Order: sequence, then structure tokens, then C-alpha cells
Amino acid sequence: MVRFFILFVVLLAVLFGLQLTPWAQQWFVLPWTSALASISTSIVTLFDGSIVADGKVMRSTTNGFAVSIEAGCNGVEATLVLLAAMLAFPAPWKHKAIGLVIGILAVQILNVLRVISLFYLGQWNYDVFEWAHLYVWQALIMLDVLVVWLIWVRRVPRIDEPGAPPGAPPALAAG
Amino acid sequence: MSEDGPPKSAGGGNAASPGFLKSPLTRFVAAAVAWLPVTFGAWYLLGPILLWPVRLLVQLIARAGFGDLVAKIESSGSALTFITTLKPGAGVAAGVVSVDVNMLVYAFGMPFFAALTLAAREASWWRTLALGYAVIVPFVAWGVLADFLKGIAIASSAAIASQTGFSAWQRELIAFAYQFGSLILPAVVPAVLWVLLHRAFLERLRRRGA
Repeated sequence: MVRFFILFVVLLAVLFGLQLTPWAQQWFVLPWTSALASISTSIVTLFDGSIVADGKVMRSTTNGFAVSIEAGCNGVEATLVLLAAMLAFPAPWKHKAIGLVIGILAVQILNVLRVISLFYLGQWNYDVFEWAHLYVWQALIMLDVLVVWLIWVRRVPRIDEPGAPPGAPPALAAG
Repeated sequence: MSEDGPPKSAGGGNAASPGFLKSPLTRFVAAAVAWLPVTFGAWYLLGPILLWPVRLLVQLIARAGFGDLVAKIESSGSALTFITTLKPGAGVAAGVVSVDVNMLVYAFGMPFFAALTLAAREASWWRTLALGYAVIVPFVAWGVLADFLKGIAIASSAAIASQTGFSAWQRELIAFAYQFGSLILPAVVPAVLWVLLHRAFLERLRRRGA
């Protein structure tokens, strides 16, 4: 657990620092965020045709209300946390790859829900929007990351303890 | 919820649970989601009290590390106002620069951690809550201080930023500390802390299946 914890913190700091670089922002974060705005808008237009996406901005053509998806709301940080947690945990690479694909998808699906809900909450009541934006959704997204990681940890075979039976899950309680 | 009674862990079995709550993990997640409104409500109402140690810590660090920049720190509810020694700039005869910081923005990990802990329903939950609170407080102080430093060194005008005396690499460090302290630490610290303090619970959860 100590090795996992240290590796997790180091990986998270490095990954977070890398995504702050201009190169990563230009080629990864901004396209990712624009794609998130487009996907969210595509879903919303199924029942509300007045919404358009412009880069990382979602805007209502009816009342002019718009939200810009910024760092913290684009799911990049949550994805990095999941990435660091899965890479740091002793598990076969195949399981890490599968876990990451499914896990990132699960985090992003909830994040799309966050963006859409905030878009409508902002039009309804700004105080509620602020609460949901600054506090509640942050906790819910991290709960999602935690649950995804817990489910994944249960299913990965143990590779950290010599002599452990093949296919046995890793021991979370190991110190 | 009793401290000394038998652990009614969400990781344990419960024959009376509805079908969709048969899984211990599902039961834990449902309990955590149910606790979130309660813990967030309590946190918001008790904000000024819960954040009092943060204010003390911030004042202590500001006085020790940035005494030349901070003249006074005023508090109002869960907000802090840093009254600086910096002047608004050339051409402004009087006044000083102040920076407002909402401490709640960096402290939502408190109710999040509380919801996770209460959902796990471990025997010594109140001790875990106290320990978690104590660990989270310095990280909230990190976010608050980084926000203040970002306010004077990066988000302010060049006339104000130049008075701080920070070098280019120090401003980069402040930017990283602010980003890490606002985007990562508030959510990750409570989650990691909860995992570290609930290893036995997680082991039971794993053994009993999700």
C-alpha cells in the first residue's frame, strides 16, 4: 500500500504537470474539452434544438445563456487521477489497459451529465449552479473515480505477492 | 450508529436489503450518495467553525512566509480577505490591494470524506472523521494560500505583480501550486485518505464481492 501510495502521488503530480504544458493544452486538453462540449450539445439537441456548441462553449440561442467548459469541469483531472491510480496499482498491463478504457468511459459519461446539468442549472438558478459547480459535482465525479477504481481493483489478479495463487485479487489491506 | 456496537459495515451482508442493494459496493455507494446532502448541509452551516483552524493556519503561514506582503487577514463567514501591503499602482494616490478567497472552494473534501466514512459505517467512525478533518485542514490552507498568491503574482496587473518580488520560476511554482491545490487536492485528498483509513473495510468489500 505504501508503494502504491507513493507511486500514485508521483504519477499524479507528473501527469498533472504535463497536462499544464502548452503542448498538452493545445493538442490534448483543448480538443478534449471541445469534444466534450460537442458531445454534450449533441445529446441536449435531442430534446432542445436551441443549443449550439462553439469550441468549448455551450450556448442557448433562445436566451443567450452560455457556459464555457474550463479546467476542473472537463474531466481531465478526474481521468488523470484514475490513470495514476490504475498505473500505480500492481496489476497486469492488460488489466490496466482494459480498466482504463472502461474507467475513463465511465468517468466521461458522468462528466457529460455534469456539463448538461450545470448548463440547465445555470439558466434556472445561479446560486444552485454555483453550489453544484463548485462543490457537489466535484465530489460526485471523485466518487465515480473511486467506485470505478474499487470495482477494477476487485477484478485484477494479484501480482504483488510472490506465491499468491494465480487469479487471486490483490490484498488491499497489505501495509 | 454506535461506536462500540458490532460493525454494521456496508461491506457486510444484509438479507433484508432490496435486490438492487444486495451488492456491498452498491450499498456503500448508495449510502455515500444519501449521506452527501446531509454532510454538505452540515458543512455549509458549520463552515465558519470548521474552517477556523484553516484561518489560523493560513494566518500563521502568511505571517511567517509572506509577512512583507500581508498586512492583515480579515474573515467573514467562510471567506478570507487578505489585506496586502501592495499599492494599486502608479497614479493611484491611496489604498492597498486586497484579495478575497472563498475557503469553501478548497474545503468540499470535508463533507465528501464524511459521507464516505459514514457510508462505510465502521466502528470507530467518529475517530476517523476527526483524523480525516485534521489531515484535510492543511490542504485547504494550501489552496487558500495558493489562491491568494495567484491573485497578487499572476492575476493582478503588472504594476501590482512587480511589487511582489517573485521571480519567473516562483510565479510558475505559484501557478502549479494553485492549479494542483484547486483542481486536484480538494477532491483527491479525501478519497485517498478514505482508502488509507478503510483498508479493512475495502478488504471485506473485496472478499464479499460487488
